Amino acid sequence: MLKIKEGSLQHWAIRIVGFALLALLVIYIPTQSETARIGQFASAFTLIIAAMSLNMVLGFTGQISLGHSAFFGIGGYTAAILIRDHGWSPGYTFYAAAVIAFVVGCLIGLPVLRIRGAYLALVTLAVAVLFPTLLRWKKLEWLTDGAKGIDSVKYDDLPVWPILGELKGRDGRAVFSYWLGLLVLVIVYLVCRGLIRSRVGRSLIAIRDNETAAAVMGVNVTRTKVLIFGISASMCALAGVLATLNSGVVTPDGQFVTLLGSIIFLLIMVVGGAGTLSGPIIGGLVYVWLDNTTRGIGTDSSGVLGFVFGWTDQSPATLILGLALIVIMLFAPTGLMGLLRKLTRRIMTIIPRDISPTQ
Amino acid sequence: MLLDVQDVSVRFGGIVALDGLTFVIKEGDICGLIGPNGAGKTTMFNVVSRIYDPFKGRISFDGHDLLSVPAHRIAELGIARTFQNLALFPTMSLLENVMVGAHSQGSVGFVQAITRIGAQKENRRIRDVSYDLLRDLNLEKLAHHPAAGLPFGTLKRLEIARALAAAPRFLLLDEPAAGLTHSEVDELADTIVAIRDKFKLTVLLVEHHMSMVMKISDQVVAMEFGRKIAEGTPSEVQSDANVIRAYLGGEV
Repeated sequence: MLKIKEGSLQHWAIRIVGFALLALLVIYIPTQSETARIGQFASAFTLIIAAMSLNMVLGFTGQISLGHSAFFGIGGYTAAILIRDHGWSPGYTFYAAAVIAFVVGCLIGLPVLRIRGAYLALVTLAVAVLFPTLLRWKKLEWLTDGAKGIDSVKYDDLPVWPILGELKGRDGRAVFSYWLGLLVLVIVYLVCRGLIRSRVGRSLIAIRDNETAAAVMGVNVTRTKVLIFGISASMCALAGVLATLNSGVVTPDGQFVTLLGSIIFLLIMVVGGAGTLSGPIIGGLVYVWLDNTTRGIGTDSSGVLGFVFGWTDQSPATLILGLALIVIMLFAPTGLMGLLRKLTRRIMTIIPRDISPTQ
Repeated sequence: MLLDVQDVSVRFGGIVALDGLTFVIKEGDICGLIGPNGAGKTTMFNVVSRIYDPFKGRISFDGHDLLSVPAHRIAELGIARTFQNLALFPTMSLLENVMVGAHSQGSVGFVQAITRIGAQKENRRIRDVSYDLLRDLNLEKLAHHPAAGLPFGTLKRLEIARALAAAPRFLLLDEPAAGLTHSEVDELADTIVAIRDKFKLTVLLVEHHMSMVMKISDQVVAMEFGRKIAEGTPSEVQSDANVIRAYLGGEV
């Protein structure tokens, strides 16, 4: 087993090689894959962002939310309405969606986060159930187009980005979605990382571990919970904006706008690793891969598979992941990320830097 | 007077947990709070750390009206505490536990954390201070070990380190010797006196180990059924008829 000192030459070498491999992979996918594959990655990025946002609230702060599909929907609808009805440039809708979702998130969080555990789950569940109903509401039809939703959200000219050059046609769109999603994902990841590796992050985990003790240490528990809920909501809205830009459609029945969306975000987060920064990335990739490889399993298969999944013409990915979740919770409560960490620890350990030579 | 408790009463439903408790603590003293189980000692702690609201009475700390301060501002005033049954952050390492203890000593908020402005610098400063505290309590070898699963005595010391990270003037120790062996208790007594002197603390100590309380306290307050039954120097309280009756029962 290797023992490597934090900050040593070897440690940096491993980091740089790891980062370079990741960068290569990220560049390889949109240049060498077929369009459909690129599109799958783009939608994975969207789900990863949503799961990351949920992770901040549930994974790190320990406050369950089943209402994140509503924030996803707020993002999606904000983008659709601003682009179609008000002629906004798509780029600016990210800012608008983030601000709106932050305000809504804080307003919901303020009363809701005073309750804990199962009750909090129930109240946020109500938010998720209520949201699509609100979208269909006759009196809001002027804004949301009611039950049929908003389609043909178009932005004709893709911006010309340096290096990428001019992107054209369906292929170009997929490549653009990929890079846009990746950009937002990286920003959201860095925001999460910044928060977690700071005084704020320590107070979030402290609230999760022991709320009373956190308050005695000087953490303003209510304020911290509400603000992280707001920030999480705005991150989730960014994912919603991406989804709308990718598909051009947003409806009250959309998979991620309804309660099912919240469940999927939750699944991705837990399978990947709750309370870890990179967990949602692994979870999201696994989910989208499963979703696509098992899509036809219900209708196309015969024999046992056809019998088991024959009742659905949809992808059974959620079902499979749900079952996998039970196994994962039993054997790796910290998700795939925790499993990965255990494996790397067999190969090498990073010894933390010596602290403060003052004696 | 650093802490001035006047006529404080706490009720839980029909049960009176504290009944007109009055006492004062001088700056720099170690004050022992003793009494049989259920006397209201921990309730007193929870009132001072603003977890419980008394329905009657006043508490002033260094001239501040303590009861008008919300729980999360207590640390800023310079009050830190440990918990009787441990209230650590089990998923965090020992070092991180102490770093949370230093929450009131930092200033990085959401915006600085996201933009990383000053966050790294503050992390480094707080980590160094926290590591020194771990060293003061002989825990530095376990700095990166998660708090969950360590022996009780170790975690009790971690609680003290975490409380000290808030740079308090007033430290409340809730049964720090509970569950320790004899030699550990002696060691702890020395530690408490040492940190009192090193960090210029005033200490309120709840403890059942009488020998330890009597050895290190400058002043002792004895309680029973939420009331104060005796107060004075350790030897005065030890020979007090009410205290003997409360502990041994029967007539004197």
